[in-house]
Amino acid sequence: MAKSFIAGRRGITGYLEVPERDLLRKLFADVITMLEPDTPAHEDPLAALLGLDMDVSVPSDPALLRLLPDAVKDDAGAALEFRQLTERSLRESKIGALRAASLDLDKDKLVLDPEAAKMWSMALNDVRLVLAERLDIRDETDADRVHRVQDWGDADDVESYLSLVYNFVSWLQESLVQAVLARMKSGR
Amino acid sequence: MSLSTAPEIDRAQVTRELASTDIPWELIVWNDPVNLMSYVSYVFQSYFGYSETKASQLMMQVHQDGKSSVAHGNKEKMEAHAVAMHGFGLWATVQKGGKRG
Repeated sequence: MAKSFIAGRRGITGYLEVPERDLLRKLFADVITMLEPDTPAHEDPLAALLGLDMDVSVPSDPALLRLLPDAVKDDAGAALEFRQLTERSLRESKIGALRAASLDLDKDKLVLDPEAAKMWSMALNDVRLVLAERLDIRDETDADRVHRVQDWGDADDVESYLSLVYNFVSWLQESLVQAVLARMKSGR
Repeated sequence: MSLSTAPEIDRAQVTRELASTDIPWELIVWNDPVNLMSYVSYVFQSYFGYSETKASQLMMQVHQDGKSSVAHGNKEKMEAHAVAMHGFGLWATVQKGGKRG
């Protein structure tokens, strides 16, 4: 079994079993695949450098829309313009966090400095957003329904399996964030 | 002899221009049943540099009221904050209005 993250003198440490690492590696890879842009970077080098993407549109996959939401409410034009200016770099920064977390999984023991812990918390959160969309979590009642699935012996269909995975990733993220907050509080 | 060759600046004009770019915008963070309360509080503390108390108050407001206005300032700054919040996986939007800050 995985152990909770602990804030210690050398950083935030955690321990994961091999199957848990494999699961997380797969989840991170799935989200990276979702986030990789369909179109190559803009041919205009300046546009590419600035991360502009004039061909961007609102994601049709609701899970991807959760990762890349509109930044302006009730104004589709302004929201799209914002996407053109920012979405490509947002995708890249999310992919960067997911890749960094995935690389950390290659080491036996997880030892995270504040920056790595931030990457990990972002990566785990993005995985949870995607799983939550697949599990149709819209409100607290839905969240409770998913949270009640706790026994791996009940993993007999896709929904209960995804619920168990969601609960595991949620537990891991909560443990990481508690360790990070404890570290911030102690001023280290 | 004057050292400056620059034309006289109309001071009233300068004041007006500064004011027009300084119309307060606000950053709204929306509730969702996925993001952990601890994580939202961590993001508010680490990204905005808010105290534990302030971060926790804003987080509770998001949780209970469905949204909270977490930052104020010029449009560009609020847009940068929105991108950062989306990077963390929180849903944030920018809008005109709110108090000055």
